[in-house]
Amino acid sequence: MQAIKNFIIKNVSKTFLAYMILVYRYNRKYKNILKTLIFSIKALFHFYAPNKKLLKGTQIRKLFSKVKIEINEEDRFVYNIDIFKTIQRDNRIMDNVTVDYSKILNSSLNEMKKINENMKDCDYKNGQRDLLIGIEEYIDRECKEIEKSNINNKEKLIQYLKSIKDKKAIGFEESIQRILFFNQLLWQVGHGLNGLGRLDKILGDKYEQDLKSGKITRQDAKDMIKDFMKIIHQKFWYKSNVLMGDTGQIIILGGKELDGSYFCNDLTYIFIEAMEEVQLPDPKVFLRVTDKVPRDLMELSLRCIKTGIGCPLFSNDDVIIPILIDFGYDKQDAYNYVTAACWEPLMVGKAVEQNNIDSIVYLTPLTEMLEKEDLDKIETYNQFVCKYKEYLKQYIINFVKELNEITWEEAPLLSLLTDDCNEKLMDVAYGGSKYNNYGATSVSLGTVVNSLYNIKKFVFDEKEYSLKDINEIRKNNFENNEELLNKLKQQPIRYGIDNEEIIDLTNEITGFVDEVLDTQKNRLGGKIKFGFSAPTYIIKAGTSPASFDGRKNGEAFGVHISSDKPSVAYTELIQFASKLDYDNHRFNGNVIDFMITPSFIESNFDKMVDFLILSITLGFFQMQMNVTSSDILIKAKANPKEYENLIVRVWGFSAYFNDLPESYKDLLIERALKNEGKSY
Amino acid sequence: MKVRVTNIQRFSLHDGPGIRTTIFLKGCNLKCPWCANPENLDFKKTEYYNETTMEKGCFGYDIEAVDLFEDIIKDKHYYKMNNGGVTFSGGEPLLQIKALEPLLIKLKKENINMCVETALQVSTELVEFASNYIDEFIVDIKILDKKMCKEILNGNIEMYNKNVELLISKEKIETFRIPLVNEYTLKEENIKNILEFLKKYKVRKVEIFKIHNLAESKYKSIGKKMTKFSEVEDKKIKEVYDKIKKLNINVEIIKI
Ligand code: SF4
Repeated sequence: MQAIKNFIIKNVSKTFLAYMILVYRYNRKYKNILKTLIFSIKALFHFYAPNKKLLKGTQIRKLFSKVKIEINEEDRFVYNIDIFKTIQRDNRIMDNVTVDYSKILNSSLNEMKKINENMKDCDYKNGQRDLLIGIEEYIDRECKEIEKSNINNKEKLIQYLKSIKDKKAIGFEESIQRILFFNQLLWQVGHGLNGLGRLDKILGDKYEQDLKSGKITRQDAKDMIKDFMKIIHQKFWYKSNVLMGDTGQIIILGGKELDGSYFCNDLTYIFIEAMEEVQLPDPKVFLRVTDKVPRDLMELSLRCIKTGIGCPLFSNDDVIIPILIDFGYDKQDAYNYVTAACWEPLMVGKAVEQNNIDSIVYLTPLTEMLEKEDLDKIETYNQFVCKYKEYLKQYIINFVKELNEITWEEAPLLSLLTDDCNEKLMDVAYGGSKYNNYGATSVSLGTVVNSLYNIKKFVFDEKEYSLKDINEIRKNNFENNEELLNKLKQQPIRYGIDNEEIIDLTNEITGFVDEVLDTQKNRLGGKIKFGFSAPTYIIKAGTSPASFDGRKNGEAFGVHISSDKPSVAYTELIQFASKLDYDNHRFNGNVIDFMITPSFIESNFDKMVDFLILSITLGFFQMQMNVTSSDILIKAKANPKEYENLIVRVWGFSAYFNDLPESYKDLLIERALKNEGKSY
Repeated sequence: MKVRVTNIQRFSLHDGPGIRTTIFLKGCNLKCPWCANPENLDFKKTEYYNETTMEKGCFGYDIEAVDLFEDIIKDKHYYKMNNGGVTFSGGEPLLQIKALEPLLIKLKKENINMCVETALQVSTELVEFASNYIDEFIVDIKILDKKMCKEILNGNIEMYNKNVELLISKEKIETFRIPLVNEYTLKEENIKNILEFLKKYKVRKVEIFKIHNLAESKYKSIGKKMTKFSEVEDKKIKEVYDKIKKLNINVEIIKI
């Protein structure tokens, strides 16, 4: 009996879980029980995952042989994901990753096979060998299906795919097809939230060559990019992680060069133009900027942002790269950084660092301390902060301990595409890649900073309340004490404003976490980085009790680096963020997030461009804008049908407003109202 | 010297060139019926209570003029492009201009561009004084008929004209700004007067804007009732725009 149970837990349940996730995602998109029921029956018949006792590479080969290949004859490119076929997992799968597509374009399967042949005999080698054969077989099957189909440019597409076996990619179109081919493989084996990398840089030469030889025009290139965007957007409901739209499909553009100059090319512009024209929430664009970014590129970016699609997000290389180098990444790698799914810097092709591994919740140790400590004994603010730090330290140590309990599913495909694995004969799951750090995100930093400040003011400085009393009121969710709630909420010196005390306090807390993390290592031998922005500001807040910043039980935390104060000037927020410390371990994504109305950008366009450029030189880390107005959001919530194409920025991605859970809609409306100075 | 301030607004984009910080000074000698800053009218501190947010407090606080420097300088980085800087607004900022002098001296030393947003219906002596420090004036054109100006606004058009002459001669007027109100400034006779006026004093820019009813809750919070005005149609705004444009003047419709 136990054996059967174990068998079910070990085998059936994992496949069943994968099946359930698929059905859940389908229902999340279509919200129709009948449709979902039909889908779930269909899925039941088609669902397949290879025997997990086989080597992982062998499993993937089997998987590829079963994948149903469908050629969409309307499309320019071939891109195929069979949503019913997957790999069984006993461990957590590595995601949040961008592979180095330049390596894929400039190499071939034959080259990879040669490397494999020279490896000493071991499971790693054998798994990789089967994987490579599996890819080859997939190419052959896909070519056969193309042959049978009526898709345009059959010969060309077949040639593009076949050349993956033994040639470097040559042309622009061929390169895009090759990127799509490998991208579909990553999705097929379950590496979600995967980014596309520095496509302007990777494809720049191919574009120039084709342009010069007259093979393509600029417009052709833009059309191809638009088609590329559209094709990877298909099935976004299936690709989306926690929320619809959260696919991690991020395209990195621009960037600082080793000689200090700014890199961008015609493709940088074309990608943003294409983005502006296709008006899809996904994929998303991330623009690396420096003080040398051309003004017209910023103008184009702002025009794109103004449409409301939420990107590009700006990432300030002048600030980020020195920190990356200081942390220990090689200079070359640091200059070539991309991001994990949202904004967490990632050394492309050299790391599968899990940069979205979990969120630190600063409020948790504070609540714990308030519950466990005898508050009468805390006589000064300093004692209060010291106590908090004791709990925070323990919380971080436990946090790391929990992270170290995570075991990773072997990932031969990622290992194939990541430096050092072949040399070490070690899968990325065991630390095969060059860098093996983890990246955490964090929420409620603002809540804790504001709470500490309020405690200092109302308890220790002004002595309006005793610590015990104020805590009792908080524990009661401020029931019947609206006065205190409003006082705490409206106290104007708070996170997100340009105030020395608040900035020092924020740096003190993150500096403390930084010190604690300095003593910790992950199970792969790497360090643990963290950033101040996180996707979990609603999810983690749901179970968090009321806090001294004037937040009631379960209310959302602040979004990334933002202010919860109505109508805070954008310059004030940027000044605040630019004075925060991001060094040592503190660089795992630090995004300023603010709401802005389209009409504000429209009527102040040139000054907004000035503002962006000046903000770069001031030294923000990263910045994104949510362009929308409360009016539109309120109407869209009431009449979803009329606003089917309304796109909003959520955490590090954009989504259709209608696809979001109500709690996210409400938070966006609340933030928009505050931004516009309308009371909420 | 102390000045009485109601608000310091950073990232202000409508009150002069570049990115600016606007200081709102309390107190005004006029009483424009459409005023959108009722909290700035009275020099006396004004208590408020917002029913929706249950927030209560007081508009207006006194501060040593030089101490404003610290707030103004915070965004110095953003003043770098296109002559950004500080703008004194109100109320009528010129009423407190003398008290501001220590600050003005300090700002001048730091090379920070200074603007004043004014109705200019104050004594010429104050205007003369201000023009020693202020780089650019943004001057309202409201009601130009002498009698109506007195009756409706409590203004003095002769003094206004003299002040305009003075500032024009010093090339200190950056912008004329015209609030559009059907019931007052948009009256045919007044528009005719405005056009004549603009013919005479050509400046770099004219900004026109329609007044809005957004200040209603502010009026309510200080226990006053806001006079409501009819909505100015876009067509009407365009008409005024075209008429000014015809004079070969750079005119812009702005939203305030
Ligand atoms: S001059 Fe300005 S502040 Fe004074 S009443 Fe008129 S609109 Fe209001």
